[in-house]
Formats: sequence, structure tokens, C-alpha cells
Amino acid sequence: MAKGGVSAYAAINARVRAMYSDLLSPQDLGHLSDAPDVLNLVGQLKHTAYGPYLDDLKDKDFVPRRIILQIKGRLADAYHTVIHLAPEHTRPFLTQFYRYFEVENLKAVLRGIVMNSSWDHVRDVLFPIGSMTTLRLQSMVETGNIVAAVDLLDNTPYADTLSFAMKRYAAEQNLFPLEVALDLNYWRQLWKEAKQLPVPDRDQALRIVGSLLDMNNLMWAIRYRVYYQLSEEELINYTLPFGYRLRDEDVRAIAAGVDIPSVVERVYPGLSDVAALLNEPRSGLPKLESQLKRYVMKQCMVAFIGNPFHIGVPLAFLILSDLEIQDLTVLIEAKSSHARDDEFRPFLLKTVLAE
Amino acid sequence: MFFPKAMTEIELIVPAKDLLAVTKVLGSYGVFHQTDSNYPGVASGASSTWQETAASYAAFERRIQVAMQGLSIDEGQSPAAEFEAMVDLEKIRPTLELIEGDIKKVGDQLSGEKKRLEQLESALRQLEPVAEVDLDVSTFRNSRYVHSTLGLIPAANVDRLQTSLAHVPHVFLTLRPDSEKPVVWLVGAQSNSDILDRAARSAYLNPLVLPEEYQGTPEKIIQSLHQAIEEAQHNIADAKALLFKLAETYQQQLRKLLWQVHTSRVLSDAIVRYGQLRYTYVATGWVPAEDLEGLTARLRTASKEILIEALPTSRQGDNLRVPVALSTNRFLRPFHMLVNTYARPQYGELDPTILMAFTFPLLYGAMFGDLGQGLVLLVLGLLIHNKVFAKGMQSLGLLITYCGASAAVFGSLYGSIFGFEGQSIDTYLHFHFEPVWMSPIENILSILSIAIDAGIILLLCAFLLSIFNSIRSKDWAHLIFGHTGLVALVLYISFLALLGAFLSNTALAPRIAVAISKLPLPFNFIALVFGLLVMFSGFFRNLVEGHRPLIEGKGIGGFLMFFVQSFMDIFETAISMLSNTLSFVRVGAFAVAHAGLSLAIFSLAGSEPNLKFWIVVLIGNIIIIGLEGLIVGIQTMRLHYYELFGKFFTGGGMRFEPLRVTPSNEEG
Repeated sequence: MAKGGVSAYAAINARVRAMYSDLLSPQDLGHLSDAPDVLNLVGQLKHTAYGPYLDDLKDKDFVPRRIILQIKGRLADAYHTVIHLAPEHTRPFLTQFYRYFEVENLKAVLRGIVMNSSWDHVRDVLFPIGSMTTLRLQSMVETGNIVAAVDLLDNTPYADTLSFAMKRYAAEQNLFPLEVALDLNYWRQLWKEAKQLPVPDRDQALRIVGSLLDMNNLMWAIRYRVYYQLSEEELINYTLPFGYRLRDEDVRAIAAGVDIPSVVERVYPGLSDVAALLNEPRSGLPKLESQLKRYVMKQCMVAFIGNPFHIGVPLAFLILSDLEIQDLTVLIEAKSSHARDDEFRPFLLKTVLAE
Repeated sequence: MFFPKAMTEIELIVPAKDLLAVTKVLGSYGVFHQTDSNYPGVASGASSTWQETAASYAAFERRIQVAMQGLSIDEGQSPAAEFEAMVDLEKIRPTLELIEGDIKKVGDQLSGEKKRLEQLESALRQLEPVAEVDLDVSTFRNSRYVHSTLGLIPAANVDRLQTSLAHVPHVFLTLRPDSEKPVVWLVGAQSNSDILDRAARSAYLNPLVLPEEYQGTPEKIIQSLHQAIEEAQHNIADAKALLFKLAETYQQQLRKLLWQVHTSRVLSDAIVRYGQLRYTYVATGWVPAEDLEGLTARLRTASKEILIEALPTSRQGDNLRVPVALSTNRFLRPFHMLVNTYARPQYGELDPTILMAFTFPLLYGAMFGDLGQGLVLLVLGLLIHNKVFAKGMQSLGLLITYCGASAAVFGSLYGSIFGFEGQSIDTYLHFHFEPVWMSPIENILSILSIAIDAGIILLLCAFLLSIFNSIRSKDWAHLIFGHTGLVALVLYISFLALLGAFLSNTALAPRIAVAISKLPLPFNFIALVFGLLVMFSGFFRNLVEGHRPLIEGKGIGGFLMFFVQSFMDIFETAISMLSNTLSFVRVGAFAVAHAGLSLAIFSLAGSEPNLKFWIVVLIGNIIIIGLEGLIVGIQTMRLHYYELFGKFFTGGGMRFEPLRVTPSNEEG
């Protein structure tokens, strides 16, 4: 009997559709953007699906990182629900997809160690991943040094990856090689899991994950060239040769020094003013990234059209939820730093999409 | 016994000078379930000094645990003797630092040697593929024209590395293929060394690092490496022996320190949750009413000026915030475990443990009735309960004992012993054993009918318990119109009457249903009226509870929706009444299946009582006890959870977790 199909996806689809209806509408986000300050913003959020996650927040916790931590709890719950309800054959893929946050946590811990931060401080910036991680992050922070912390990762999926990168850390005393190694390994494993899915799950997963990967790979390539001025061979080794629309030739072309806007416009014909954005990389690159995220959002929306009995629907929902949290993060940071409207609105993904 | 223990809410106003003495009493007596003290006028949470103190104790406790882990010392039994309320960290700090220093010295030596061993082995692994190459390794180091890198690379990076060097002349060889870490050799012109190095580095190619002292051919170096590995292994063994010696020396001391600091940490954590006034502290929480007097006496001994206010707690109304302490009768512990797996009773709710203690073995025995196999289960259960094996599962052992005893009793009633029944007992076991009651396999329809009757009795009991719970909690709407309320009960009885009348001429007819059907009452009419009441029970519940609007939704659409929903309600109620009742058929069916399974084994064994016969019978019995015993257990649990508990048991109570300086000895 073929895996997947109506019977496997009936329950998860119903649940995901229900959760999808709880996502904030562009209008909701518009109202939130108009909040005069962060207190008012949180007050408004308490009337949304984020309410239960913010109820426990005490007055002294009204700092951006605490608020963001609380609202991330909803995304963590969404992941747990989806993985729990997903058909058996898709769980390794979804678990690997969720591991993104574990990797991000690991990177945050390593940065915390380098900056001599206490566990209490580091904890606030971690994603509340819950019971799906076995990493001893607190113990890692408490070791106070990178070598001892990485030693604690023995028997985890990161041990081998970091064992290679640690040689470079020892020589360079820089986290860059560790972070790149973790990222590359994460995406390689995810791509591998996606390719092992049966049709039509595989097509959907490769399209959606591929779009995310394209965005990351392209931004890496641009940053490595523009900011870090890495050599061609380094840039190629620090990027990935697969994706949905971005081909290896495109990455290699950027590495070889061709005009970046021409590559970006070929891969994303709908994007405008790429050259202008790249002329001012410090302000332009974040804007370009926002545009690419909106493209990913569109790819996710497509999953909700047509046959719904595949992994695309829950996967797209998870990404949309994540992007919503990113929008809220922008708002919370903006309101707490009293940023002007024109400083933060261009970075909101959903409102602009609605326009 | 039938309800969770009566609880009293207490509030303690503690003079600052008696703070530690009082907290010590609360922590050592183990009956005080603490809650956060926050109400108007009292600062919530004690001062930041106490928070810092608690954090210091926690950090010390962790340090001691790390030290104990380093020496592989377990925590041991916590001493039951008197303890010092708060240990002075400054006093124990030198001792702990001394121990940590000793451990660190040996630990560093050990990890250093281990790391060295790892490096040596890694170098050996890298050199082995080129062992036959008769070339001095230093030639590569000092070559003028050739740039060469020999090392390990993540397998996933190999293709990427080659891609990155597409425009640079080079030779790339995999010397030892490996799915994770192949050994590779990258060679190119010395003039391209920068590019080659950058590419290798960014592909995480870890070059073989051989100390300068390793000179000569790979074969020669391998020999030296083997010697060095042996030396490192020897040093590791020495360091481990040293650690073992340290463990012996410090074991008692570390356990004592851990206990002292743990106690202080628990007490300071408790104080952190107190409210703080100017000269006093406020502690609030719950105590089982039966322990209140004892606790009060101890508290008054600890502090003459303490103010204790006790508020007995009603079982009625909203009591979800009241912690639930259940009876700790050890003979009932397995049933507590089963009930808690479903849910913890609420404070005002009937605790179904006693009911389960009666019905669980009863239903299990009825399904698994066999004297011999029941006795085997009984002995097995006793052995587990007495920790002869499967330690830590004493409760499960007791449950198996009860079920085994019940199975043995039903085995006598059914006349079954190790699957032998009737004439076969005379033939093979050489004694006569008649069923005290009836053999299920020979009275299939009767046993099924009796099983349904038993189910009807249990379901009626469940209805009555639900009504009892509603009366106690004064939930009048649920009492009358709830899905297990009075209206539903009358509907169920009239449903049984109709079922009895329908099946009265069949052998499967449940006798209770038939008896009800013979009562001179217009059950058709009653079923219709009460069916309508159940159908619109949502409307009536809103009416009784004063909820408005009575019907959700507006206009004709809302009204139609309400009708469709009400129709589905009555449809679902009728289906569930039928399925709940017939669900108990399985009790009889399993009794029959047990005999049937035994017959299957005997047909495999043959008729001659030779060695093969007895081996097959033995294996068959083991399979029946293991497999059918487990399945019957699951079915019994299912009957309780789905058919019975769903009728009257809500659950969701908060666990009673008293402040305790020693860990609880109760089985988890």
C-alpha cells in the first residue's frame, strides 16, 4: 500500500487548517504595527492565538527578548503537534526540519560561551524546543570554553561535523567555521531526508524546502562575497550545490565574480531594484532578504491550493508560522526601540504581501 | 478512602528570627504542599538575598554532583537523621575546592592522555592507507615544487572541494574510502599552494598532523605510533586507578556534602516562595487535614510566635487549585497507578481506586479463568512484588498477583486447569475436576449473555456514581441533563427495556434487560420523551445554568444548525449506549477464546501423552500466559477507561507535592 494519501493526512490536515486559521491576517498585523508602544502591542497580542503564551508574562519580563521567547512557544507547540500527527514516513524529515532550531540554539550557546554570558542570559535567546532535544545546553554554557562544550556533544548528530570544524577553531579561534559546518550539515541532511520521501510528498518538500534553501544559499553567497570577500574556492565550499531554482552554476558564477544582480534577477525574475539594493549592501541586503522571504511565503501559499493530502500543507504552515514570528519580532524590537514607521515597515513580510 | 484526603489550606505568619526553624519543620515533616504567597500587601517572593542564597546552594549542589559524576559515585541513600537547617557554604567551600582540585588534576591528566591517544590513533588511521609507500614523509613537508596535503575530510565535502578547484590543476586521490571520513590526498603545484590550502581548509580537510619527531617512511612512523599508543593506554589505566582511589577516599564525604547542600537548597527554594513583610514572612500552602495537628504542634515548638491560620476546604465548587493527596494504602497502590494513568481525581471527586480494585481483578479473572495459569500468574506477581526480579515494578507485581488470584478462582468456576477441561483432566492429569459453575466453551451464548448483564450492572453503577458526583458538587444542570445525568439514566433504562423486549426470544438476551422490559411501564413513550430531553440537553443545560443565548447562532440558519447538532447528539447517545453495553460481550468472548486457544494447543500436541505432547502443552501455556494474559490486561484496562471512567470520572486534579528535604520513597 502506498504511503500517505487521504487516510494518512486527514487528521493532520484538519488540525493544520484549524491552526492556519489562527495565523494573524495582514489586517491584524496592520493593527499591531499601529500600536504606540510595546505594552500596547503585547496587550493586543493577548487577544490573539498568542494570548495563552503571554499570560504568564510579568511586568518585569516586558523586555523584547522575553516577549519573543514566549511567542516562540507557540511555534514550538505547532511543530510538536505537526510532528506528532504527521504520517510515520514523514517524521524523520519533519524532525530534521525542526532541528533547524536546535542548530540555531547550538550556535547561540557557542556565541554565549565566547562572550562569557551566563546561562540565564543565554537561555532567553534560545528557541523553546522542548523535549525533542537531548543537547545539554546548560552544561555547555557552564563549561565556559568551546572545546569542553563541544566535547559534551559526543553521541549527538553534531559530534562528527564539529570534530572537523574544531581543528579550524583551534587554529583560528573563530566561530565562523563551526557555524558554517553546522548550517551546511543541517541543510544536507534535510535535503537527503526530503529526497527519501515518496511522491507527491517529495515534490512538495523539495519545492518548499528548496525555496528556503535557495534563499539561504543565495544570501550566503552574496554575503561571503560582499562582506567577507572570500575567495572563489572558499565561497563554493561554504555553499550548497542544490536547491529549487538556484543552480550550482549560479552560485559558482557569483563565486567567480560575475555581476550579482544579473544572477539574482535570472533566478527571481519578479524582484525589482536588485542592483540598487546591492549598491548599498548594509541597508540593501536585509531588504533583499525580506523580498526573498516573501517569495518563500508565496511558495508556501501555493501548497494550500489543490490536492491537500501531502506533506506540503503542514510544512508550509510551519514556515508561515515561523515567518509570522519573524514579523512579530520585528514589531516588538521596533516598538521597544521606538523606531519610526519607515524604519521597520519595509521589513514586515505579511503586510506588504497583502498590498 | 473513597475521596482524596481532606485538605486544609494554611497560612503561616513566621517571625524572621524563626524562619529557618519553621522551614526546617515544613521540609522535614513532608506534608506541606507549598504555594506562592502573593496577595495584597505582601511582596511576592522573598528578598533577592534569599534568591541569591538559593542560587548559590543550587550551584554548589551542581558542583558536588559533577564531582561525584567525575568519580562515578552515586548519591546513595539520604540519611534519615537530623540535619542542619542551612549549611554555611564558606565552611564547606575549602573542602569542596580541595576535592575538586584533586579530581581536576587527575581528570585533566586522564583527558589529556585520552586526547593524545585519540590523536595518535587518528594519525595511525590516516597513515595506514599509505603504509606501503616507501617515501620519507618529510619529503612532502619540505618539497620545493609540489604542494601536498594528506588528511581526513567529511565525505559530504569531497565533491564540493573538487568543484571549487575546477580551474586549478591538481590531483585528488581518495586513499581510504569511508562513508563518513575518507582519507584523501590533495597534490598540486607549490605556486598554487595558497589556493589549495584555502580550498582544503574551507572544505574542512583536516591535514594529517604529525609531530616533527615522526620522521621517515610511513611504516617507520606507524611503528613509533604503536609504541606511543601503548604508552598512552598505560597512562590512562594509571589515571583511572587514581580516580578509583579518590572515589574511595571521598565517597562518604561527598555524599554527606551533597545531602547538606541539597537540604539547604530545598529549604532556601521554599523561602524564596514566601511572601515577605517587614519583620515576618508569609508561607501559604496545603496540608492533609489528618496531618494538620501534628504539623501545628511541631511548628509551635519551632516558633512560639508563629501565627497559623487554617481554612478547611470544601469539596464543592471550583477546587482545581486544591492539591490532591490520595490514600497511600500499599495494597491499593497498583490501582492508584492505573487510575493516575487515566487522570488524577479532582479534590471534590470520587476516587475510583476502590471501585477499580474490585472490578479490575474481577473482569480480568472472568476473561482469563484458569486455575493453573492463574496460580502461575499469582506466584509470578508475588516474586515481582518481593523484588526477586524486575525490581522497581512492585506495584505491577501486586496487580499481577491480584489478577492471578482472580483468574484462579474463575478457573475453578469454569473447571479449567492449564487449559485442560472436563474429561481431558481425568485422562491426562489423572484426577477429577468439575466446573463449580459452568464451562464457557460449552455454554457460549449463556456466558456472553451473562457478560452483557455484568456490563449493564457496571454501567448502571457508573451512572449512579456520576449522579452522586453531581449532587456533591451541586452541579444541578449536569445532574439532570448531563450525558450521564438522571435524564440519560432513564433513557438508558428504557433503552435496555426495548433491547430486552427485542432480544427476549434469543439465547443471547441479557436477563436484566429482559426483566426490565417486563415491568408494566410504557417504555416506548418514556424512551421518546427522555430521548427528546437528551436531544435538547444543551438547550436545557443553558436554561438551568442561566447561560444566554440558549441556542448558539442566529436566525433560521442558527436554528437549523442547532437542530442538526441536537439530532446528532441523540444519535450518538443511542449508538454509544448500545456499544457501551455490548462492549462487555468481550468478557464472555475472551473466556470462550481462552478455552478455544487451549483446544488449539491440544490439537497441535496430539492425543498421546508423550514427551512431545507435554512440551507442546508447556510452550502453549507459556504463550497463553504471556500473550493472552497481556491482551486480557489491556482489554480490562480499556473497559475501565472507556466504558466506565468516561461516565463519572473527570480527573484533572493537581498532584500533591509536599515540601520534602528527602526524596520520596514512593514508587513513581
